[in-house]
Amino acid sequence: MSETAVTSTPESRPPEEQRHSAGRWVKENLFSSISNSIQTVVFSAIILGLMRWILGQVFAEEADWTSVATNLRLLMSYNYPTDQFVRIWVSAAIVFLMIGLSLGAWRIDPGVSVRGAARTLISTGVLSLIIWLLLPEAAPGGISTALVIVGVGLIIVGAMVMQAVPHSRDRRLGFSAVLAIAVGVALAVIWLVPFGDYGVADGERYGTPGVSVASSTKVPWTIVLLGVLAFQAVGRALAPSVGAAVRRAIVAFWVVGPAFIIFLVLRDPAFDWAHVWSTDIPMAAAFALGGAGLLYVLGKPGREDLARAVGAMLVVFALFNWVAAFFGWYPMLQKARISFLLIALAVLLVPTFAGERAARIRFAAGWAGLMVVMHWLITGMNTESTLVIAAPPFLGGFVLTVGIAYYVMLVSFPLGVLLSLARTSKMPIFRVMSTTYIEVIRGVPLITVLFFFSIMLPLFLPKGMGISDLAAVFAGYTVFSAAYMAENIRGGLQSVRRGQYEAADALGLTTVQRTTLIVLPQALRVSIPNLVGQAIATFKETSLIAIVGGFDLLRIANSTIPNQPDFLGQKRPGLLFISVVYFVIAYTMSKSSQRLEARLQAGQAK
Amino acid sequence: MSIADQALTDDLASRRDMIVCRGVKKWFDDFQALRGVDVTVKDREVMVVLGPSGSGKSTLIRCINRLEVHQEGDIIVDGVELTNDTRNIEKIRSEVGMVFQQFNLFPHLTVLDNITLAPIWVRKKPKAEAEAMAMQLLERVGIPEQASKFPGQLSGGQQQRVAIARSLAMEPKIMLFDEPTSALDPEMIAEVLDVMKDLARGGMTMMVVTHEMGFAREVADRLVFMESGDVVEVGTPEHFFTNPREERTKLFLSQIL
Repeated sequence: MSETAVTSTPESRPPEEQRHSAGRWVKENLFSSISNSIQTVVFSAIILGLMRWILGQVFAEEADWTSVATNLRLLMSYNYPTDQFVRIWVSAAIVFLMIGLSLGAWRIDPGVSVRGAARTLISTGVLSLIIWLLLPEAAPGGISTALVIVGVGLIIVGAMVMQAVPHSRDRRLGFSAVLAIAVGVALAVIWLVPFGDYGVADGERYGTPGVSVASSTKVPWTIVLLGVLAFQAVGRALAPSVGAAVRRAIVAFWVVGPAFIIFLVLRDPAFDWAHVWSTDIPMAAAFALGGAGLLYVLGKPGREDLARAVGAMLVVFALFNWVAAFFGWYPMLQKARISFLLIALAVLLVPTFAGERAARIRFAAGWAGLMVVMHWLITGMNTESTLVIAAPPFLGGFVLTVGIAYYVMLVSFPLGVLLSLARTSKMPIFRVMSTTYIEVIRGVPLITVLFFFSIMLPLFLPKGMGISDLAAVFAGYTVFSAAYMAENIRGGLQSVRRGQYEAADALGLTTVQRTTLIVLPQALRVSIPNLVGQAIATFKETSLIAIVGGFDLLRIANSTIPNQPDFLGQKRPGLLFISVVYFVIAYTMSKSSQRLEARLQAGQAK
Repeated sequence: MSIADQALTDDLASRRDMIVCRGVKKWFDDFQALRGVDVTVKDREVMVVLGPSGSGKSTLIRCINRLEVHQEGDIIVDGVELTNDTRNIEKIRSEVGMVFQQFNLFPHLTVLDNITLAPIWVRKKPKAEAEAMAMQLLERVGIPEQASKFPGQLSGGQQQRVAIARSLAMEPKIMLFDEPTSALDPEMIAEVLDVMKDLARGGMTMMVVTHEMGFAREVADRLVFMESGDVVEVGTPEHFFTNPREERTKLFLSQIL
């Protein structure tokens, strides 16, 4: 019954693709007509002029690049206590290893052919030589020698590969191989290239030009990079057998993991572990297990009245705890009061969820999970250093930029989904509320929202309750970002055809199932380009937190370094450096989203 | 009415009512799409609904699983009356399969996932069981080899057969077909009709809106002719194609045959 089998006979194949020589390609594409030739010449001149200008900035005599080299630690992690540095390394390692595992588990495999790679080598070599030609006189001799060696070397290697592998024998390079080569090159660079060892130790500036970077940087990076390679291989090996389970676990990590990492990075350096073991963990366990047991027992059908009675008593008890705390009658940790209140509400919900064993187990397990996460977060974050950041703030630089951007995206995404669903909902109250929220926020500049949250919000908080600058900025930025997320997702929602809703309805799916299984997956696919555009904007606009007191990359490069006695007025190298950092990350995000789109499209084959 | 007709109607009368529409009225703003429709579909009956475009036949079958909401009259499906009670609606929908003109497969899911989605989420079936059943259904509609493809990779006829399999996976008591072959290229119509004929022979209760007269003549137990939101005439295929009572029916059939 197969009617798609349109067999192609060998004679009807399209002709082999015409292979042009480089000269012919240049003639056809760059000098095909007089006007085309003029454009080529003019724009080449402009591009070369621009490159020359940038190189002039980089190698200007007054640009002191040791300002960046010495302050790398400041740019990356600001005043983070040196003896606690291992925490940042562990966090970074976790993120990198999970990236490796994700690449492997999803079998991400951008097609790179051997000849394509050789072409890249040759063009990189040519670029090095062009840069060498444009190099200003002020540039140090070492750089110009290195450029010539690298340029000529790459061109020779590339040409040799092109010779050795003709078109007919061209094949794809596996991603594992590409990754291994990339890691190898990166390791060779950090171990061999004489960047020089600069830094500040015990308030004293030191610098040794001509050696490779300090081993306190080299060794962790080596471990992390090799770990990425190993984890990618592991993910790849697991993909065919237990791939689905691994992928689910990885997604869960990317959602929940940040809570662990924030604990790792942000928690008070003087964290009281004795208190954790003696009080925090037993308390969490008691609420998780005791509550789960209570819910399981009360959920048995026929015990609805008992559940309501117990729930009512618990509510009274939980509320009384707050009154008692207000008058100071007896001491009880605030998280215990919160937990009692939550268990009271959960017990009141029991009659709705009462039912067979499986349903009760799910309900009880959900409770236990909620307790564990809540106690973890309260214990991890409700410490002095995270709520009220003492001056000088220890968190800043690249860590802050990436952290704020990631957490804002992570939290504003679900908010945006909810807002967009509310805005397209049939219920007027949701629609009006969400529309008002979105339009109000979109009508206000981000900087206003940030000011509001960092200056106005503390005024509205009850006495004795504070919010750190960072938390305020995070909250404000999330509120802002969610409104834009919502609008981007709404565009996707509108592209889902009515027939999809009808088909889902006709199968008897509930509204929630229809939304999560049918509508959102399709809407989000359509929204990817816009969402990634917004993610990139979010990442770059974190520089605005400098204005409300945060020490992000931009502020350090633009005002902290130029105010150091050793590097007075040295803005240029720092700004150029952070531009490259911003660009590399934004460009990676943009490229990955294009790949993701192509992958999803290949999946749907529309 | 011939003797064969009489025998058939007697047989039908003795069966259980699966769909009962009594005085169903429906307005789209000021336009009245249904003007008090009375139709009863019996158990294991195949009822074909005919009529010119805009006659309300699609609206009628879309009211039966409440994709459209009727404003007056009663619709009772397998003894359950359609009201605003969400639980009633979901129960009826899970027992009434629907096949659309535009297939409406879920483009982001494979053929297999399209079929197993509702059994897993609505009927709470274990995944393995649902997949085994989906493969059986794909076998039945003749395209088991397409299970792992996406809808966009299939021809129209194949997509519509997947859509039928998707509905059957819910083990419905009733199947509604809303012009299932109208969006297909001519050479693909037969393969879909074959599946539907097979289904009818298996004793499925079916209500079919179609312009395929060959199908109607061969498979239908009774035909309904609608015009301007009214039921004009109900009868057996033999009655319709040899000796229709109403002038309007005659005119319509002369145009279409």
